[in-house]
Amino acid sequence: MLAEDMGKLSSRLRLIFAVSSVVFLAVLAISPFKDFRHEWKQNKRAYLRFAQGRPDTKKLLADYRPDIDQIWIPGMNVVDRCTTCHQGITQGSLAEQTVPQPFRAHPPIPHKVRDWGCTICHRGQGPATEIAEAHESTLAWEQPILPARFLQASCGTCHSTDLPQTPQLTRGRQLLGELNCQGCHRLPGVERPAMLGPDLTSIGMKVSRAWIYKWLKEPRTITDKDGNVTVNGYLSEEEPRMPKFRLTETELRSLSAYLSVQKARTVIGYKIDPHVVAAWAKNPELASQGELRFRQMFCSTCHSLAVTRAGETKLIGGVIGPELTKVGSKVDSEWLIAWLRDPQGYLPHTRMPRYGWSDEDLYKVTQYITAKLTDSDLLAGVPQFEQPTDQEIQLGNRLFLEKGCASCHAIEGHNPQKDFGPDLSALGGKNASELEFGTAKIPHNLVSYIQAKLQDPASVNPAARMPQYNWNPADLDAVTIALLSMTGAPVTRALQNLVVQRKEAAFHPTGAFGELYERYKCYDCHKFNGYGGDLAPDLSYEGSRAQRQWLVDFLKNPQTLRPTLVLRMPQFNMSDKDAITLADYMTMVLQHPAANPADVESSQFTASLASLGKQLYEVKYQCQACHTIGGAGGYVGPNLNNAGGWLTPAWIEAWLRNPQSLVPDTIEPRRNFTEDEVKALTAYLMTLRQSIKPQKSATKSTERPAVQELGR
Amino acid sequence: MSLRFWISVVIGMALLNVVGCGKRTEPAKADPLAAAYDSETDWTDGQHVIPLNYQQAQGKRLFYQQCVWCHADATPAGPSNRSNLTPVPPLLNDGATLNPENEEYLENVISLGGSAVGKSAMMPPYGRVLTSDEIRSVIAFARAISQPAYQPQKRTGSQYSVK
Repeated sequence: MLAEDMGKLSSRLRLIFAVSSVVFLAVLAISPFKDFRHEWKQNKRAYLRFAQGRPDTKKLLADYRPDIDQIWIPGMNVVDRCTTCHQGITQGSLAEQTVPQPFRAHPPIPHKVRDWGCTICHRGQGPATEIAEAHESTLAWEQPILPARFLQASCGTCHSTDLPQTPQLTRGRQLLGELNCQGCHRLPGVERPAMLGPDLTSIGMKVSRAWIYKWLKEPRTITDKDGNVTVNGYLSEEEPRMPKFRLTETELRSLSAYLSVQKARTVIGYKIDPHVVAAWAKNPELASQGELRFRQMFCSTCHSLAVTRAGETKLIGGVIGPELTKVGSKVDSEWLIAWLRDPQGYLPHTRMPRYGWSDEDLYKVTQYITAKLTDSDLLAGVPQFEQPTDQEIQLGNRLFLEKGCASCHAIEGHNPQKDFGPDLSALGGKNASELEFGTAKIPHNLVSYIQAKLQDPASVNPAARMPQYNWNPADLDAVTIALLSMTGAPVTRALQNLVVQRKEAAFHPTGAFGELYERYKCYDCHKFNGYGGDLAPDLSYEGSRAQRQWLVDFLKNPQTLRPTLVLRMPQFNMSDKDAITLADYMTMVLQHPAANPADVESSQFTASLASLGKQLYEVKYQCQACHTIGGAGGYVGPNLNNAGGWLTPAWIEAWLRNPQSLVPDTIEPRRNFTEDEVKALTAYLMTLRQSIKPQKSATKSTERPAVQELGR
Repeated sequence: MSLRFWISVVIGMALLNVVGCGKRTEPAKADPLAAAYDSETDWTDGQHVIPLNYQQAQGKRLFYQQCVWCHADATPAGPSNRSNLTPVPPLLNDGATLNPENEEYLENVISLGGSAVGKSAMMPPYGRVLTSDEIRSVIAFARAISQPAYQPQKRTGSQYSVK
């Protein structure tokens, strides 16, 4: 190349170089500018200015660093840079609502932010350094922040036992259990009871084909669009255990035909003594006497009935058993007698206790049920059926499996169906890209997906076999929270070690007590060492609490201790022997180490000590605010009229020292009594006695159902 | 290839570079109830729902467990014990009574009981049942549902000592 040419070329090149280096310089200048303008750096500087404007600057800036701040917990897979912007998170003085975000302090919670990081609870992207990437779902990052109202789901990821601080999560788990979701889905931590739906082995002995048809078409318990539950047209607190399946007319006919011929287990009939029948059959009082017995036995503790008062009819009673408003039109009368005498003979896993019946009571109560608890219109609109044809029965047999009925119901000839619906044990940790949104017009995130599926399964997948549920907004959120908490196996060993598994606490004692415990189904309502229902008081330490004679009297004739309670212990017509066996076992076995009745000498409770106790009770501590003695006092705590005949002095003393050590969730506040005051109050309470009179007439049932909180 | 072309390519790439680093749009703000931890229906106005933050929601839970029996007109178990008591305890949303009282006083009433501050001994002490965080959360809940609404006092500088 010639020199002149090179000169020419180089002048062109020089121009190119000149322009491009100006451009590159500009670009290079932009990048530090961009870096300076980073969102997190702006927040760092804003915090500096903010802290300088506050009186406690020095404290706020004690550990200020201008670079990225990170909480790194390798054992739990936590790399959270959230504190880069949320710099005041542990500063107590920044707690007020007036402090602008992102500087506001975290509200006090049982975990330390520095020990746990943020994303374990809030989800979102820990390592991200931009606001949108940390909080939103973007193309590269899929887990958005969990909206605050679903936060309890994160507690449930590690805490598989119920916590007092997470009522929604507890409610959601409870609903998943009560609605029998675990019949079709695998749901970790939701107990699968021995019996989900009733055993249908001999359903043909109990109800007619017409009733089955009606039930399949429109189950008794209906939830409307707003989540209000009605049973036979009455508002109820009950959860609909049998959901509404979308069945065609042919399917209804076939299934009802198939079920109506199920008579595998014979029902042993019982003939009521003809003398009893002869004596009562013509008596006009028969039905009202039956109703009286029905009330006296406190059937309403488990079963609800429609009661009209002041022109308003509503259901009153418990929800452990089905409501009975129209049961007389439903069940066969021979079956009813056999059932009442021995419920477990027909349904081995039933929760119904076996009462002691005299023929007279049995006759009166069954006559009352078949005569009064009826509805002539119950089966209106149901077609007249011929004998079921073989074809119908065969189709019904096939549908029973295709619809997943065998997931909840046992029946002759089919094995129980396992995992009929999808496994939901890792649903809560899924990314949006793993979900099938189908045709649903909803935002593509996990929360919307779960809620759409729950509200209308067909909107996401038209071929879904899941039945239709309706929810009220609170329950929908609660169930969503429970499902979000199921994120599958913990990601790291450290987290695995933190997860406290629910413990199987089944308490099934053997021997004479064990037999009675199963017969009277004590665990339906009472808790024993962590196992059982929560309708009635926890009896784990009943032997320390109650005197043996009181227990015997109470079992034979249960009286309420709390005037505001509606649901009361049923009267089982227990024999003396049964009552004594139960009381003896409780007194000897169900003891609390801190309250041993043998340790306290009752001779120390003198009259002068008792009168000092009375003064303390009435003047210094004013216990009458919550407890009733005589006719006066509050009714938050139990009535103490018979405290001396009911409680053991050892229990009263231990209780006064620390009620929560005996019953952890009792609402009686723990006071700071001196030891002398404890003795004096115990002496006073032991002087209070009132004999239990046998119940004369049916106790008036009051208007409010379910008073579980006070039952403890 | 003309010089102009190369120059424009370089400038274009530089511009693209700048655009590529650009900021995304801010996400839309969600409605206040969806962002709230829990909510409580205004006791005096059923149509008005008050959003609660975490602390107030904890207070709500504790209130309905421990306090509702005497400080509300209806309880989960039916009628309130309030009418049995003399003097009648204030409702929790009674702003006329509670708003003038400062945090410290209310914490004392709850943790030490009524008799410790010269009020009725019927109010038992909760200091051995509830932690001080829990007591503060109950007060935060009372402030949230107060009628008339609670206006926090303007803080003075002396609250935070610079020393």
